[in-house]
Amino acid sequence: MKKKVLALVLALALMLTMLAGCGTPASQEGNTTPEGGTDAGTAITLDTIKVGFVHVSDQSDMGYTYNHDIGTQEMQAALGLRDDQIINKFNIPEGAECAAALQELIDQGCNIIFATSFGFEDYVKEAAAANPDVQFCHATGYQAAGSGLSNFHNYFASVYEARYLAGIAAGLKTETNRLGYVAAFPFAEVISGYTAFYLGAKSVNPDVTMDVMYTNSWNDPTVEAQVAKALIERGCDVISQHSDSTAPATTAEENGVWQVGYNNDMIPAAPDASLISARINWGIYVTEAVQTLLDGGQIPVDWCKGLADGAVYLSPLNAAIAADGTQAAISDAEAKLLSGEVHVFGGPLTGNGVDFDGNPISIDIPAGDYYHEQEEASAPSWGYVVPGCTVIE
Amino acid sequence: MIDTATALLMAAVLAGTPLLLGALGEILTEKSGNLNLGVEGMMFMGAIAGLIGSYSYEQALTAAGFEPSGAISALVALIVSFLAGAFGALIYAFLTITLRANQNVTGLILTIFGTGFGNFFGEYFGLKAGGYVTVSSVTKAAFSPIHFPLLSDIPVLGKLLFQYNWMVYFAVAVALVMFWFFRKSRFGLNLRAVGEDPAAADAAGISVARYRYLATVIGGGICGIGGMYMSMVTTSGVWVHGCVTGYGWLAVALVIFATWSPLRGVLVAVIFGGLMIMRMYITIPGLPAQIYDMVPYLATILVLIITSVRQSKEHAMPAGCGLNYFREDR
Repeated sequence: MKKKVLALVLALALMLTMLAGCGTPASQEGNTTPEGGTDAGTAITLDTIKVGFVHVSDQSDMGYTYNHDIGTQEMQAALGLRDDQIINKFNIPEGAECAAALQELIDQGCNIIFATSFGFEDYVKEAAAANPDVQFCHATGYQAAGSGLSNFHNYFASVYEARYLAGIAAGLKTETNRLGYVAAFPFAEVISGYTAFYLGAKSVNPDVTMDVMYTNSWNDPTVEAQVAKALIERGCDVISQHSDSTAPATTAEENGVWQVGYNNDMIPAAPDASLISARINWGIYVTEAVQTLLDGGQIPVDWCKGLADGAVYLSPLNAAIAADGTQAAISDAEAKLLSGEVHVFGGPLTGNGVDFDGNPISIDIPAGDYYHEQEEASAPSWGYVVPGCTVIE
Repeated sequence: MIDTATALLMAAVLAGTPLLLGALGEILTEKSGNLNLGVEGMMFMGAIAGLIGSYSYEQALTAAGFEPSGAISALVALIVSFLAGAFGALIYAFLTITLRANQNVTGLILTIFGTGFGNFFGEYFGLKAGGYVTVSSVTKAAFSPIHFPLLSDIPVLGKLLFQYNWMVYFAVAVALVMFWFFRKSRFGLNLRAVGEDPAAADAAGISVARYRYLATVIGGGICGIGGMYMSMVTTSGVWVHGCVTGYGWLAVALVIFATWSPLRGVLVAVIFGGLMIMRMYITIPGLPAQIYDMVPYLATILVLIITSVRQSKEHAMPAGCGLNYFREDR
């Protein structure tokens, strides 16, 4: 027994020595950055800057993270950064692992860190408070403005504009005048998206209605396929989605109906069903934020750009199956959105919803006015269901 | 009303089929006395292998200037996914039967390994294809619902019984064969003896190791085919990251729900599938979706309680299940 304990203690001692041995150069390396930072203040140069990313998934999701990573690559190409200046943390769950991933990035000397999933926000806020020398940018969140931290920022794109335009393709294509929407969660980000999609369809087809069904998951292809199938059984003949996988597209194809995608061009997955997709170009913000840091400027607390700046756009239209005149109708609406003649959430418009505590809320926008979605804060805030939309639950 | 009911039943059958295949594979494995918790891993391995099998077959034939055939493509997917699941089970069998490793731990490790195996190769082929790994419309058509002449046109009944893809009928056929095997064949009786009391079976001259190896490996292959259902039917031949996640465990729950009987498995798979998709077809105002999602598990717990109260030997887990057999160890 004694021998065993002794052996264990010795083994532990050996491991600790080894770890300490490995650790020394790394910690010395880590020390150089803060020292350099304090010495020169704005000593971050193109040659020394390190950019970190925390993602909830990885590029293989072919959706949200894939699309965001394209933005990272665009930034790298635009600024000419080396591969070792970019550190990605993929497949980080929205829990304590996020705090660990952020700390690792800080230890590795990152000057600016992008966290791309909604559930990361609390950890990002904590890390920002503890590390004032590092800039933190969090996508889809809402807490930066109220946090009082100068190194904590939120960003998103007004994807509702692209969804509105994609809705036009659906509104012109539908024969049953009934659209179906595979929605992830009853959050404002999702509700804002499907309402914009529906209003786009309604702008070209006043008789159209839409059924919305939740999957309660960002990425579960089986449930997405089942929900899409259930919507098709209800008579919906164009399916759109706020969920990550291509399952709604392929389910639509198998059942001989059509689909409008999100995040990625889904035509290769379902060439006979996918009409068009609404996409976000993250490269614009990521490049802008890193460039601002290099120039010694202040990154905005809330950043949100849209159609006018190319931060949101549409994937190419599947002309082989789209209704005649779709491209012209989309281009026309796009011009009107850009000129301000038309607003996505323009009055007269009414809607009902529930607030965080489950109390009913409603909105009534008169003609001539419009809902200022994502103008003050970068996070979507429209949480109302408009007449014509039915949430199945 | 009748339309909603038929739509619900159809969707229930489709939702239950991959779970049924996974459960059937696990029933065969557990009947031999091996508790293989790696169902999810083997399903993942089958899912990616089946898809890559079909994909490679199409690519090779198109490159050679031939037109790929949907039926052969489906057959390739079937065989390759079976082999992949069987390979996963072979690792498990070697570790638990030959090396007598702990069955629970080995099964859990197989789950982790299989998940990584599936996602790694899914990503690898995705990168190689420059986007999605996706099969052509010929293979997609082979996994689409079959239209039987005359039969499919019978009102209601035709829609309920003759409107599925071939894998649904395949799963039911496997269940029927397995039922016959356990009840009527000598090998099946021997296998059950091995699972209930390996020492007694050994004394009667039955090779415990051979039966356990064969049952585990073939069972793993059937689980692999269940995984292939996810990648070829549910996502229509497009690889989606983590597409099996969670469903392997549902298959394990289904084994308990079915009380280790293949025929009852068919019935409860439809019930289980129905409970999973019920909220999409029947809406009870004020009842949150999360409650619906709990119902399949509540049903499983209920079955566990009922069978343990009744203490029926016939509906219980094989007595030797979960224990490694070592002849000298008595």
